[in-house]
Amino acid sequence: MSLAIETPGRKLPRWVTRHETMLALILAIALLALGAFNDRFLTVDNLLNQGRLMTEIGLIALPMTFVIITGGIDLSVGAIVGLCAIMLGYSWKYFGFPLPLAILFALAVGGAAGLVNGLVITRIKVPPLIMTIATLALYRGLAEGVSQAHSVRNYPEWFYILGQGSVLGVPTQLVILIVLVVIAGVALDRTTFGRTLYAIGSNETAARFSALNVDRTKLVIYTLSGLASALAAVVLVSRVTTTRMDMGMGYELDVIAAVVLGGTSIFGGSGTIWGTVIGVAMIQLLKNGLALTGVKGDATIIVIGVALILSVLIASSMQRRRDQSA
Amino acid sequence: MIAAEGQSAPLLEVRGIDKSFPGVHALSNISFEVRAGEVHALLGENGAGKSTLIKIMSGVYRPDAGSILVEGRETRLAGPDDARRAGIATIYQELLLFPELSVAENIFLGHAPRAGGGRIDWRAMRAKAEALLASLEIDDLAADQIVGALTVGNRQRVEILRALSHDARILIMDEPTAALTEADVTRLFDIVRRLKARGVGVVYISHRLEEIFLIADRVTVLRDGAYVGRRQVAETSSAELVQMMVGRRIDNLFPKIVVPIGAPVLEARDVVRRPMTKGVSLTVRAGEIVGLAGLVGAGRSEFAQTVFGIAPAESGEIRLMGEAIRINSPESARAKGIAYVPEDRGVQGLVRPMSVLHNLSLAALGALSRVGFIDRLGERRLADTAIKRFSVKTSSLDEIAGRLSGGNQQKIVLGKWLANNPKLLILDEPTRGIDVGTKAEIHRLMCELAGAGVAILMISSELPEVLGMSDRVLVMREGRLVAEFDRAHATSEAVGAAMMGGEPNMEKAA
Amino acid sequence: MSATAALGATSARGWTLRRFASQEALLAVAVIGLAVVVGFINPRFLAYRNLADVLLGNAYIGIAAVGMSMVIISGNIDISVGALIGVLATVSGSLAVAGAPIVVCWLAPLILGVAVMAAQGAVVAYLRIPAIVVTLGMMSILRGGLISVTGGKWITDLPDTFHLADLNVLGAPMPVVIMVVATAVAALWMRYSPRGRSIYATGGNAEAARLCGVNPQRTVVMVFALHGLFAGAATLVYATQLRVIQSTTPSGLELTIITATVVGGVSILGGVGTVIGATLAAILIAEITSALVFINISPYWTDAVRGALIIATVIADIMRRQRRAARGWKK
Repeated sequence: MSLAIETPGRKLPRWVTRHETMLALILAIALLALGAFNDRFLTVDNLLNQGRLMTEIGLIALPMTFVIITGGIDLSVGAIVGLCAIMLGYSWKYFGFPLPLAILFALAVGGAAGLVNGLVITRIKVPPLIMTIATLALYRGLAEGVSQAHSVRNYPEWFYILGQGSVLGVPTQLVILIVLVVIAGVALDRTTFGRTLYAIGSNETAARFSALNVDRTKLVIYTLSGLASALAAVVLVSRVTTTRMDMGMGYELDVIAAVVLGGTSIFGGSGTIWGTVIGVAMIQLLKNGLALTGVKGDATIIVIGVALILSVLIASSMQRRRDQSA
Repeated sequence: MIAAEGQSAPLLEVRGIDKSFPGVHALSNISFEVRAGEVHALLGENGAGKSTLIKIMSGVYRPDAGSILVEGRETRLAGPDDARRAGIATIYQELLLFPELSVAENIFLGHAPRAGGGRIDWRAMRAKAEALLASLEIDDLAADQIVGALTVGNRQRVEILRALSHDARILIMDEPTAALTEADVTRLFDIVRRLKARGVGVVYISHRLEEIFLIADRVTVLRDGAYVGRRQVAETSSAELVQMMVGRRIDNLFPKIVVPIGAPVLEARDVVRRPMTKGVSLTVRAGEIVGLAGLVGAGRSEFAQTVFGIAPAESGEIRLMGEAIRINSPESARAKGIAYVPEDRGVQGLVRPMSVLHNLSLAALGALSRVGFIDRLGERRLADTAIKRFSVKTSSLDEIAGRLSGGNQQKIVLGKWLANNPKLLILDEPTRGIDVGTKAEIHRLMCELAGAGVAILMISSELPEVLGMSDRVLVMREGRLVAEFDRAHATSEAVGAAMMGGEPNMEKAA
Repeated sequence: MSATAALGATSARGWTLRRFASQEALLAVAVIGLAVVVGFINPRFLAYRNLADVLLGNAYIGIAAVGMSMVIISGNIDISVGALIGVLATVSGSLAVAGAPIVVCWLAPLILGVAVMAAQGAVVAYLRIPAIVVTLGMMSILRGGLISVTGGKWITDLPDTFHLADLNVLGAPMPVVIMVVATAVAALWMRYSPRGRSIYATGGNAEAARLCGVNPQRTVVMVFALHGLFAGAATLVYATQLRVIQSTTPSGLELTIITATVVGGVSILGGVGTVIGATLAAILIAEITSALVFINISPYWTDAVRGALIIATVIADIMRRQRRAARGWKK
């Protein structure tokens, strides 16, 4: 289900005017432009490395797409990344867990954090925006409190394969991302679960009256959001070799910008995983491009902030034009 | 102090009003007026056009044709502000109040009394509010109370006071008693009588006949967007009004096919769900069409939604095919073979932004999928079958459902649920707002289904439909079943009388 | 009037009083009570020096909470204020170091704050973009902009005349004076001015507000502009207390301000609350942060406490509303 742009006059074949196709075109043009501008860019090495770097955002963007399609939002993802990174390091170093168990523990914490979000949203009916701002504060605070600002280093070598190693030349985490992208995309497109998401985002009342289990679906997506954040945390720690309490800060911006850029409407009811993938790639491209032209890392968030606002603006004005002509 | 007819211009008059929306002709050539010191009731079933007419009178909609006259002068109401300035105040069913602010502030927001320097004079506001309360002898509401904590009856009173604070001379009240207790209704009538005595003209929209006889001077009946008639309340009877409200040209005779009736499918015993369902017991058998009649607010939809699991029963027993079951959610209802086609097509029935295809499969996704994966070919086949079977007019399966006409939309909602081959089909106002041709199609379909052994519970406010289609007619009033008729004995007089009740259950005013 | 009706009336009036005064009273009690308890455990907490530091050092949060209250009461939210304060502080400091007249250095954050926030308000009100998206984007623009423009450099050697916060007014320290004045003026304005009341109307029921002659769009822009003004005033108090202005914004500042607002009685769903409560809550939160140190709990737990506070308050608020809505049905 995508935002198909209607072209007046001659009808182009549907797949050409799909939002995702146009985005892919823009992405391709941007890639070529950047490659022409800077010869270090279009090398296999660099592209694979960009793939590695965009995995963390990419993983979280997958369930975030689900959440935004239902008309919700999850602002606590960055904080969950931080919390899980801490839990990973601390359960390993201070509670004495063997590292594989620590990894599982971190994943469990992330899932639980997401589940808490989901439970309060569905049972107590706190709006998702408000609940996840509140848990953003709480989970970040817990990360700080547990870690006391101490970092954890010196993980065993095998752990770094996840974040820094490769499988047949492709970065490990990218392989995981690709697998999950396919699973998520297929789920959204072809399963009852995916159809339910679109129904909830388009008309939640009618979805309930059609005997769809709205509450359980919401519970699932917020839990997945927490799990994806946890997985991203594990990948991140493996990639940068340390655990710090400020990990994941600002991730919610990148993730939401990527999802919205990829064509998912902030108001719910439409969007695809393929669009999100393009959105993630574009965000990464922005960062890489800016870095290559000498702009410092922190300043790239200006561009992402602008991109976020612009894409919502453009999408909502197109939607309004479409509604008027209907 | 009712002005005699013809002596002075009516406070508010509309002439020749036409109004259409995409796909629906809401009002045709409506004329209506209200005089000073009179209560003029506007009567009609849901979908008759009452809501649209009052929105035109309050400036929310602009008529396609016709004129509006205030005290004899032709006026253009470009928006609600114009109406307010013309002295017209409207009290809607969804009260437009500020739940966190006080009674006084709700009344005076936007035109609060000021003290020196332009600042709000809270003391004066409170005093004025208390004066207003006293003028209507409301002694259990304080000006300082927070509106959000008030009961519905009290909130409504605040809305009325707000209208009075604007010196409204015409008060339009849209189904004011829909959510009120009996005590609140009595007090409301008290207030309306006081307003009458002051020369305020009241347009009173309702579907409750007993209230019309208690409070109104004249009554105008609308049906399907057209004017049916106007009467002096003192010179008419409820039977005549019912006939005007629901009687239709009996030229579309429903092809009722007598079908063998089988075992009970649904048996409900003393089902209770507050606040509307107070203890309902009924049986629907396979192949049977049971018509559930009653006026709006009788609790029929609420009962249906309890059986369907949207608002699970608090007590009582429900048996399906003889087996006692608990229905906790629509999911479990569907799993047991219950289907519910809701009353509000646009909000509850269809997901308008989604395609026809996706809407048709929405309730059958479980059956259409294996391990969660939707069988797309099967889905298309299901949709194609439904389109053909119900003659749905749509350019393609991928057409956006919201673009279809009302009748076709209803067919999609029906098709969605019939894809599950339900054993019990509950239809809530299945032909409301639909053209005659489609109505007949839906009726034919119902007979077909009954012939195939489906048990059908049909909620309808159209008496001819109820009388024509049902094997048995049940009547609900105030959350309970009050009458049962078999086909032979169901006449419009008998059913209509049961719908309205033997004697009114409020004290007659002094 | 029957006995039950009479009872209803008085208890209703009493309830009203209880409702409005309760949150502020509760907070005042909490502030004092906490001081007593902690002072008992560690008397050094009550040293004048410490209490003064807590109050002076955090007054700016109370000031910012006034503006945030207005935003939330109007039914919106803003998460860019922390980044904005950082930017405004740098602007002010840079102007001072560059030799601009001190008055200009003090006025600049106010004017700039209004401009930036009003622009966001206009986008929210007229372009119908959800406030969370606009302010999330703006937060990153401001944060990134600050880093890239300053290059991470800190502003040192501020002229002595810069430090407005060190001045006293009639013996009272400037930060406290500004906080008290800002809160009082805002509270009075929101109580006695029709424009001030329109904020409550817009947040309580925008459609009803429109029918009462309130222009919801203009109200939202006005609210954001005022929020910018108070953010600028907060920056003034914050920056002029520092000897060195860092090029990063205090982390989590917007969360602290939102927490203060919400704990102060402003419902996150809009339509209700007072600025006095927000200021008191800001003081309470600052007090808790300091208290943690004095009872030997690591300050790294502060944020967790803040997070717990905001969650508890929000959940309690939502549940209260649901209970109230359910009661409206009772026949």
